[in-house]
Amino acid sequence: MQSDARMDEIRDGLSEVECDVLVLGGGTAGPMAALRAKKKNPKATVILLEKANVKRSGAISMGMDGLNNAVIPGYATPEQYTKEITIANDGIVDQAAVYKYAENCYDIIQELDRFGIRFQKDENGEYDVKKVHHLGTYVLPMPNGETVKKALYRQLRRERILISNRYMATRLLTGPTGRVAGVIAFNTRTAEFIVVKAKAVIMCMGAAGRLGLPVSGYLYGTYENPTNSGEGYAMAYHAGAALANLECFQINPLIKDYNGPSCAYVAGPFGGYTANSRDERFIECDYWSGQMMQEFYQELVSGKGPVYLKLNHLQPETAEHIEDILHKVERPSRGRFHENRGTRYAQSMIEMHISEIGFCSGHSASGVFVDDFARTTVPGLYAAGDMASVPHNYMLGAFTNGAIAGEDAMGFADGHDFESFDAGDVAAEQTRIMAPTTREDGLPPNQIEYKVRRFVNDYLQPPKVTAKYEIAQRRFAEIRQDAEERMMVRDAHELMRAAEVWSILDCADMAAYASLYRTESRWGLYHMRADYPERDEDNWRCHVLLSKKDGEMHCEKRDVAPYIVPISDEEMGAYYRQRITATA
Amino acid sequence: MPLANTPTSVPVLVDAEKCIADKGCTVCVDVCPLDVLRISEDTGKAYMKYDECWYCMPCEADCPTNAVTVTIPYLLR
Amino acid sequence: MMFEPVGDDEVELLIERLADGDPEVRRVALIELANTAQPEAVAPIAKAVEDPDAGVRLQAAISLGEFDGFEAAEALGIALVDADARVAQAASDSIAELKAPEAAAALLPLVEHVSGFVRASALRGLKALRHPEALAIGVKAMKDPEPGVRAQAVGVVGYLKAEESLPALIAACRDADAEVRRTAAGALAFSKSPHAADALIGVLADEGWAVRECAAETLGKSRFDQARGPLAGLLDDDVWQVRVKAIRSLGQLKAKEAVDRIAQSLHHEVSNLRKEAAAALGEIADPAALPHLEALVNDPDPDVRKNVRWALSRIGAATG
Repeated sequence: MQSDARMDEIRDGLSEVECDVLVLGGGTAGPMAALRAKKKNPKATVILLEKANVKRSGAISMGMDGLNNAVIPGYATPEQYTKEITIANDGIVDQAAVYKYAENCYDIIQELDRFGIRFQKDENGEYDVKKVHHLGTYVLPMPNGETVKKALYRQLRRERILISNRYMATRLLTGPTGRVAGVIAFNTRTAEFIVVKAKAVIMCMGAAGRLGLPVSGYLYGTYENPTNSGEGYAMAYHAGAALANLECFQINPLIKDYNGPSCAYVAGPFGGYTANSRDERFIECDYWSGQMMQEFYQELVSGKGPVYLKLNHLQPETAEHIEDILHKVERPSRGRFHENRGTRYAQSMIEMHISEIGFCSGHSASGVFVDDFARTTVPGLYAAGDMASVPHNYMLGAFTNGAIAGEDAMGFADGHDFESFDAGDVAAEQTRIMAPTTREDGLPPNQIEYKVRRFVNDYLQPPKVTAKYEIAQRRFAEIRQDAEERMMVRDAHELMRAAEVWSILDCADMAAYASLYRTESRWGLYHMRADYPERDEDNWRCHVLLSKKDGEMHCEKRDVAPYIVPISDEEMGAYYRQRITATA
Repeated sequence: MPLANTPTSVPVLVDAEKCIADKGCTVCVDVCPLDVLRISEDTGKAYMKYDECWYCMPCEADCPTNAVTVTIPYLLR
Repeated sequence: MMFEPVGDDEVELLIERLADGDPEVRRVALIELANTAQPEAVAPIAKAVEDPDAGVRLQAAISLGEFDGFEAAEALGIALVDADARVAQAASDSIAELKAPEAAAALLPLVEHVSGFVRASALRGLKALRHPEALAIGVKAMKDPEPGVRAQAVGVVGYLKAEESLPALIAACRDADAEVRRTAAGALAFSKSPHAADALIGVLADEGWAVRECAAETLGKSRFDQARGPLAGLLDDDVWQVRVKAIRSLGQLKAKEAVDRIAQSLHHEVSNLRKEAAAALGEIADPAALPHLEALVNDPDPDVRKNVRWALSRIGAATG
């Protein structure tokens, strides 16, 4: 280990390694992809590259308190789940990938169980699945889910996956035919570059969670792990991959100021719920969706606001048991937050709010476009987890689709040789990344980042207004120019933050561009366009794919693949009508 | 260099008495997702160098000697 | 360093550091040894449970939780009787992580230990291993003087789902300790025997609300028809959470005769109860519930309205 002074010192360096399958991101999907690729071909070389440290990286850094979408025989069927997701996503779903997830996820649960990840079981040792949603039964609690990352790490070391921590990938390398050739990355503690040549690359780089600014104004107080700053989205875009439905933002309910998840899935089975200031339940919507968030938002700004998590009607022992889970597993600092405020769940309701915007398919549908084998539109390039377009995927989706990606990517690598790439691309990328190190004077990355994200809140947070979006695009262009000409850093750590600024800017631009393209409202609050307030089934019952064409941002429509689980108009309509309001 | 130094109250506290970073331990520095902790050249103990905390707590939970305490950043408190 | 160390000599280098005179250096070496996740690391870590320094022993007990098998379990058994309470607790927690069947052989002798903490910890570890020999041992331990041991013993027996353990589980439903009674009631879920049903019905009168709640839920899950009357008797329980479970079970049992009593809960101030009552009335689908449900179509709670609407459509379909 280097001493402190030398640790963040910027050094020159460029090395090259090669592997069969390269996995970018060691959070949830990444470890599973790497393990499955290695299992498929134990002789092949698999590298797992991680910006932080695989031990505690990604959205589930500390743990996870439950599976929200487990399709377990006897409780739910793949058909039922696929239908539910299609309806919750207003019909814009390629069902093959959702169905495949639903068919495979139970095997993955059992595999994770063998890894030592603990799911709730009843007194006979059977999975204790809970019904939280109105129709299906999908929730498998994990009151001891704090060991998830430890168990994954142990598995990776046991299988001798090559783990490379503290390397931040910034651009994919592609060959003359557009096929993926590898990646360029730099060490976040020394600024030394590395080129990893790979026959296939799996991106598991998480949500774009550092896009909007949290209400606290603290740059890192985000809903998502702030290391997930959208590199996956930006890199896929620059490599020419298509990104799907980015206008379907992620916005989540959360504990106000603390900005962590409210965990309705934990409290629900015990009888806790989201209430308005009159202690009343108000959410009409069945499944977690943009529609649900719209109802939440409307209640917040109505005379019945704010919104609370209500547990104080439960027996004190029950409320304390919920506190114990919520303060121990997923975001344990939550207990400290409540302690400072003097809030006890058994006594008072807990104020909630909505999150800043982001891209994340884990909770919504914005992601790099993939098929049911996790293949992107770039040959040899895969995506899984929160950054891939399979909607409402959550943690179990990341594991399951990570496994699917790992297996298919190794198959691809086995059938291909290395793709060539232009050495000039590497040099150009080094110059681009290192530019802030060449200045004696200028703007630090944190200030540039704050400004971008403040404008994201001011102009992009729904309801979406065309003229405000156009102002945002002009502001982003100005800030981009500032960053190009004046951003400066003093050490390798700050260089990482500078590189993240580029991802955040790219994501802000993509969020604006995709939102303006879809001239209708859909997915409730996620794409609520004040000047196009109606859903337009005739023109917009389709995906919107965003990609880079001739160096410019471009959007096009893509048909939704024919459903494999048919849904009658009546069922779809029943969903829209089902939001029964009291007439009294 | 025309950059000001703005003070900030750091959320991660390290008890130097308990910290064994000087014996080769790097657990908290390793596990931090934001990579904000370092080991001081002067004291040989861990400290928070960059105020970029997600108050996620692996540094505290994984510390073998219970030397680390994560508090909620003041702006959120 | 480009990659996390994966070389075969890594474990050996760390083992050398375990001989260092400084206990904190030994402790750091143990952490890194556990990180390797290699089977060769188990033996040196296991040896460290007898280190003179308590901090080192604590780390060894924690680190062994990253491994599995007989050797790790045996060393954890030593740590379990450590004079330092933190070491013993860490060993107990690590024992609960064991999954390999062969680990049971190291735990079985400990269930006779003089310390209740050791007995409870051994049983806690045996539970998930589902070792056949653990059945007789678990049944015996259900008579242990210490309630913490008895609760773990019920856990072991419940996981084995053996009809022959019914008398013991039924007896445990009358244990002096509420947590033992609750666990035993939940463990009876596997059995379809009328004796299990009778025992669970008896538990509906338990003084602990969580125990009653568990019995009410289990009776519905197991579809014990004979519980319909006793469950209906629970509908004026002081704790609404108990009533929720009784109502849900009555719905599962299609208890037509309980419709009027269930309908009384449609007016309870806690909407969870109204919601559950509407759902149960829909499950039962008896037209007698119609007037009660129709009065609730404009309930302020959307979930109640949804369930009322659903129940009305079910009754409509049933009556054609």
